Amino acid sequence: MSIDIRNISKRFGNFVALDNINLDVASGELLALLGPSGCGKTTLLRIIAGLETADAGQILFHGEDTTAKHVSERQVGFVFQHYALFRHMTVFENVAFGLRVRPKETRPSETEIKRKVHELLELVQLDWLADRYPAQLSGGQRQRIALARALAVEPKVLLLDEPFGALDTKVRKELRRWLRRLHDEVHLTSIFVTHDQEEALEVADRVVVLNKGHIEQVGTPEEVYDTPASPFVYQFLGDVNLFHSRVHEGWAEVGKGRIPAPDAPDAPAIIYVRPHEIDLSRVASGDALHGEINHIRILGATIRLEVDVEGHDAVEVELSRERYSEGGWKVGETVFLTPRTVQVYSEPQ
Amino acid sequence: MSSTTTVNRSAATTEAPWVRWLLTGLALLFIALFLIIPLVSVFFEALRQGWGLFAASFTDPDALAAIKLTLITAAIAVPLNLVFGVAAAWAIARFRFKGRSVLTTLIDLPFAVSPVVAGLIYVLLFGAQGWFGPWLAEHDIKIIFAIPGIVLATVFVTFPFVARELIPLMEAQGSDEEHAALVLGASGWQTFWRITLPNIKWGLLYGVILANARAMGEFGAVSVVSGHIRGMTNTIPLHVEILYNEYNFVGAFACASLLALLALVTLAVKSFIEWRSARLAEEDRRHATEE
Repeated sequence: MSIDIRNISKRFGNFVALDNINLDVASGELLALLGPSGCGKTTLLRIIAGLETADAGQILFHGEDTTAKHVSERQVGFVFQHYALFRHMTVFENVAFGLRVRPKETRPSETEIKRKVHELLELVQLDWLADRYPAQLSGGQRQRIALARALAVEPKVLLLDEPFGALDTKVRKELRRWLRRLHDEVHLTSIFVTHDQEEALEVADRVVVLNKGHIEQVGTPEEVYDTPASPFVYQFLGDVNLFHSRVHEGWAEVGKGRIPAPDAPDAPAIIYVRPHEIDLSRVASGDALHGEINHIRILGATIRLEVDVEGHDAVEVELSRERYSEGGWKVGETVFLTPRTVQVYSEPQ
Repeated sequence: MSSTTTVNRSAATTEAPWVRWLLTGLALLFIALFLIIPLVSVFFEALRQGWGLFAASFTDPDALAAIKLTLITAAIAVPLNLVFGVAAAWAIARFRFKGRSVLTTLIDLPFAVSPVVAGLIYVLLFGAQGWFGPWLAEHDIKIIFAIPGIVLATVFVTFPFVARELIPLMEAQGSDEEHAALVLGASGWQTFWRITLPNIKWGLLYGVILANARAMGEFGAVSVVSGHIRGMTNTIPLHVEILYNEYNFVGAFACASLLALLALVTLAVKSFIEWRSARLAEEDRRHATEE
């Protein structure tokens, strides 16, 4: 089912949580709402679910306005950040809850409920935990039970609030892949909220980057990563080096070197370069920036070098392990830096 | 609970032996003097002249009437405050509205006001010379010096127990589970009966037990509104006072021993609930660390 979000605004006192949000979610899509904390992403998700009411605007499910519909009638599945499993019920009863509270006419029989719950528990691969209580489960297991419970009511839309936020890194990565596979199986229109760009880029079909209550960019993971629409998106989607400079005839000068900025107007500019998109050399070329290595940190597969660049703060450069050992870089060496790709934004006056 | 924290402390963080003995001794002495001796003496005085007289104290029609009235009062006041307490706690813990902090303060009012003043308020309102006095007399409704007045005064003084117990509990639990139930299609009532109530039941029981103990033991407020009519408007605490003033010590202490017994039962149930909640919390912790 498709979701249209039209002109949604929400304030909390003087704080603008959402400022006129417009967004279309296609049927069967897995969408990520990505942004820093306080950007309004969770509020938007709760408004879609009906747990929060917008000050203005409409939410349309499959073209039908749901603004006046009570949360219990919207047929959404919602997975809470801290799972919100019913602590006094077993896993089985948790999953069965949505079926048991139905009015008599539509409530399935006991055998039907049993069959359905076990089917869902098998889907999340936790059938053997049916008699446990939530307190007896690990974080990853609770997460999957919460998902099974949400799916039990056969929702038209699945909403997940920071689904992996409270888990440790390893479990998180496993669950990420698992969620993607599950989505490919059931093809439910799904929206999940996250502040982790890696998570959004890995799992989602499309990513919506939110900042301070408005949408910065909507696009596929490649689009938002490769052609960020604003400095915010560029910064938020990965590590970044910042150069403040002035563009003059297509070049921005930094110390003794300069960075090409062919399409930028002659004005103060901010230049963004990702640490892994910088080449290091011992031989000076015409435009390269001059610097001196002052720190080397080994981060597993990648090596991060901190280079003091003349006329600028420290610049971070990331190399793969092979390139690092090929180069044989040492602290204190003078090096020349050439950015492979840069992003130039005119500095706001 | 203490068994979970038996950490052997090093000499550097422990006091000298004589300090420890002195402090512990003082605490024990205090408890013995002010709690245990009076409690024992109540039962001692009650049984001083044998079981016969002790038992006879309860067959006295006035005593029986007092016991009956106390039970009736508690039976009305406690359920009323249970319903009110849950409703107030729900409103305060789950919603942000204007006057929320005023309501929170108002709930505490009966703790801040002297019970005698509470009783006087009702006399002022419903007494013969009170605001509603003439109207009530016209319609032949008796509140002051009758059971309704006693119930009202008791409801007033036991007002805060349930709500105060539940508000912090419900705030700590948050409303995620209730929201989850709503999203899953449950109605408001279904959410309350199946999710909210089971989650607060131990806190609720605790509050009810305390409210009940207070309802049965209340003296000041009830004394003002009751009129002390023997066999009619005397509750157990009032009956004890009358007997004592008449030098009927055995009777006074026999009835007092009932209240003391109630206190002991209350304490036992209260400790059981605390022990149970602690054990449940402990279990959760253990399972959480097993992950």
